Amino acid sequence: MKIFYQCIAVAVVVTVLAVAFVPSASDWVEQVFQQYVGRAAR
Amino acid sequence: MEIVKRTLIVVLCLLLIPVAAVSTAAVKQRFADGPNRVFSGGPLESGDLHSGPEPDWRFVSDIETIEMQLLDPPRSRRIWTAEFDGKIYVWSGYMRTAVGRLWKRWPVQAERDGRAVIRINGTRYERQLVRITSGEVLDGITAAISSKYPSQTTRAAVEAGEAWVFEAAPRN
Repeated sequence: MKIFYQCIAVAVVVTVLAVAFVPSASDWVEQVFQQYVGRAAR
Repeated sequence: MEIVKRTLIVVLCLLLIPVAAVSTAAVKQRFADGPNRVFSGGPLESGDLHSGPEPDWRFVSDIETIEMQLLDPPRSRRIWTAEFDGKIYVWSGYMRTAVGRLWKRWPVQAERDGRAVIRINGTRYERQLVRITSGEVLDGITAAISSKYPSQTTRAAVEAGEAWVFEAAPRN
């Protein structure tokens, strides 16, 4: 379980850095979020 | 019981990844020049500032969304717009629901201080948002809204406070 927690921590940090600094990553995240929200609203 | 608890922990941990992604994207957008899709953006900084006579707003009939920023707080969002009788309007629905009031705070902020900037096709316009709560003009505005968007906004809904309609009037 400890290794799992470490993997999750690394994944979260990598995700935050990728969305913050990789061009178009945040746009993709927002697009997916919009699709889910739109589906939920319908 | 232990297996249920562990499964729950694993699911919650995995959920942290998309939550982190969405939160980061939302925070990042706050520092951007305007909104992108659904997240609020920062102040509208780029684009020529319109000066001169009032534009012929009929051109917004061909535009799906506009960017709008309040001066206080200086945050921008992408919203629908409609033109009626030479004037431009913006609105917000779901205002009588708890979720709507939580989700859409700009109408309340705009009623407090209506100074706004809208950006359309790269041009910024300084406007004053003036809420319209009743009157025959709402028949025309809501008809313009319904003909442009899949919206069921009606004069009765606006007068009941379910939808808040603002004229984006010239700022003097």
